[in-house]
Amino acid sequence: MSGLAAHDQPHPNLTIKERSLKVRLIALVLFAVAAPIARAQGNYEIQVYGADTVPPRSTMVELHSNFTSDGHLATPGLAATNHAEHETVEITQGINDWSEVGFYIFTSEQSGLGVQWVGDHIRPRVRVPEKWRWPVGVSLSTEVGYQRALFSPDTWTWEIRPIVDKTAGRWYFAVNPALERTWHGPDVNLGLGFSPAAKISYDFTKKITGGFEYYADYGSITHIASLHDQQQQLFPAIDLNISPKWEINFGVGIGPTAATDHWIVKGIIGRRFDWGKKKTL
Amino acid sequence: MRCHPPRQTDLRPAPAVSRRQFLGAATLAAAAAVARQAWPIPAATPTAPEYRIEIGEIDWELAPGKKLRTAAYNGQIPGPLIRFQEGKPVTLEIVNRLDREEIVHWHGQWIPSAVDGSMEEGSPMIPASGSTRIQFTPRPDGLHWYHTHAMARRSLKHGLFTGQSGPLYVEPRANPGQYDLEQFLVLHDWEPYYSASDDGSLMVNYAAASINGRMLGHAAPMQVRASQRVLFHIVNASATEAHWLSLPGHQFQVLALDGRPVPTQAKVDALRLGPAERISALVTMDAPGIWILGEPRATFRSAGMGTVIEYAGASGKAQFTPPAHLNWDYRAFADPVPAVQKPDVTLPLVFTSRFEGHGALDRWMINGKSWPDAASILLHTGQRHRLVFDNRSMDDHPIHLHRHVFELVSIRGAALSGIRKDVVIVEAGTQVEADLVADNPGSTLFHCHQQDHMDSGFMALFRYA
Repeated sequence: MSGLAAHDQPHPNLTIKERSLKVRLIALVLFAVAAPIARAQGNYEIQVYGADTVPPRSTMVELHSNFTSDGHLATPGLAATNHAEHETVEITQGINDWSEVGFYIFTSEQSGLGVQWVGDHIRPRVRVPEKWRWPVGVSLSTEVGYQRALFSPDTWTWEIRPIVDKTAGRWYFAVNPALERTWHGPDVNLGLGFSPAAKISYDFTKKITGGFEYYADYGSITHIASLHDQQQQLFPAIDLNISPKWEINFGVGIGPTAATDHWIVKGIIGRRFDWGKKKTL
Repeated sequence: MRCHPPRQTDLRPAPAVSRRQFLGAATLAAAAAVARQAWPIPAATPTAPEYRIEIGEIDWELAPGKKLRTAAYNGQIPGPLIRFQEGKPVTLEIVNRLDREEIVHWHGQWIPSAVDGSMEEGSPMIPASGSTRIQFTPRPDGLHWYHTHAMARRSLKHGLFTGQSGPLYVEPRANPGQYDLEQFLVLHDWEPYYSASDDGSLMVNYAAASINGRMLGHAAPMQVRASQRVLFHIVNASATEAHWLSLPGHQFQVLALDGRPVPTQAKVDALRLGPAERISALVTMDAPGIWILGEPRATFRSAGMGTVIEYAGASGKAQFTPPAHLNWDYRAFADPVPAVQKPDVTLPLVFTSRFEGHGALDRWMINGKSWPDAASILLHTGQRHRLVFDNRSMDDHPIHLHRHVFELVSIRGAALSGIRKDVVIVEAGTQVEADLVADNPGSTLFHCHQQDHMDSGFMALFRYA
């Protein structure tokens, strides 16, 4: 396998907020020149976004719990993902019927480090209002955040995530062709990375929806990495629609490429709190 | 013979129509004069229609810069006010200029199935670019309406999502209240779109709303004077939405529901009208100022559901304060002491839905069957049938019975009497009982008046044995 130039490195996250250890790996690659693979390590929030935003006068509180059962082992200066537990609290406030702001608190727990605060991100998002009656749902999310150097040499990062989705009968489709950029850290000169995500699901019942979520990191948009070095991950996932106030999602991720953690178990539990007056017929 | 009336002069909030001007001594002759004003009666011949409705596409301006293209009656929204005399036969010609079949339903009228305007009952559809001529004898009196009864299915550009609706007033032999002004208000929602509801099923929302075809702030204010009594005749012509109306500082004295006088003319701060419901209510103008008569819920009011009422001599901006509580209970207008009637027959009607996907409309069922698979429900002439509306779904439903009225006898188990209607909202998870005396033989359609629900199977046919 040939070595990767810095700009060829795939971004180590999937959908992520936190691309910390990827960057560290990229740095290692830069130093080692021939190091071939960027490892997926930033699994803090694994979620394909739908176009909907949180309604105004409502707050969504979510807990993302991700456990890497088969990840990479520790390397000098870089913590292992293997058997690491990442807990992320996401709080999203609806502003109006076409915008919201989300805030993230990332934490990590693993043997030898205990529970660590990793960083925080803020994520404003706007959507095409439903009343425009577009045939698909469209929104645009942008995310800026800081993460401690212990977890990511790139301490300030930015992401822009177009979101397109469509519900047709029992089927649901969503694509998130996200672009990522480092503002401070070793990757600052890498340019934009391409990290798409997608989802397809089917409503088996009103309460149970099952499908597949796909996450990838192709590296720089100007120099796509070889397949071996790309992050590719597929999650069979289940959504439980037990109540409009609750969001429940879980899945198991399989990463077939060398650059990807091989097995991740993820879960999301969210609760919506409505502050406005109840709508009355 | 074709008579395009002046645009809405008798329907829009201003200028209000004085009782003297319109009704004079409240004689039927004067009422007929009103009808002539809106729909001139041509030279009479034995077969000449007295009224003509032309269905066609129009460009309508809800507000400056807010235009929509939709189907409407006689080139206006709402369709022209039609006044009939109870018991006097009328002949109408209906011309369909659209490229699709249409049909006009005479909502609230006890007329034969063949002219009621429901394909399911046997009324013929009016072919594209075709016409029909119908004759019937209007009854009963009171506030009713006429509207399309065509299916919209998944299209949000057909059926009641269009502007095909208008008020129909059958002159009563005696006025239910003393009033100085009479005002017809037709509520409608516009620019529909599908969105996910809180219960996970697809639902219809709207980007705009209007009263008498205009969004709030874009119609001439209705002019009133202090101490005047204004009789409002209100029709909710929305395809799917229930609406509230309130007028700050004023109360509504409810005189009639769905055109039928109520036993108790109670005063309320706000009116609630489900889709297809009508209310006639008297307001005494005793709080001078400039007010918005509109939806208390800001979302709907900001979408346009409101109109301005201006007292003579008042100045400033129109004010609105929602009532402290939105309460509506049909029992407030019922007999003070419920009369107990024993039914001859009890007919359970269970409303349920079947999930078809988060991106699809639910399938609706009555007694486990969707239209057109639903079995007919047999009625026996002269018998009192107790209809038990058992709503086991998570939605409220405005339940409508064609060609008849039913009398409400219980809501959530609480007895009442004296309220006769043709539409009743059956709230989610509740039961309403209503007595139907079968006195108008012929096929009779029974359905939820939400366009998306009836298009998804929420219909059944009553047949006389």
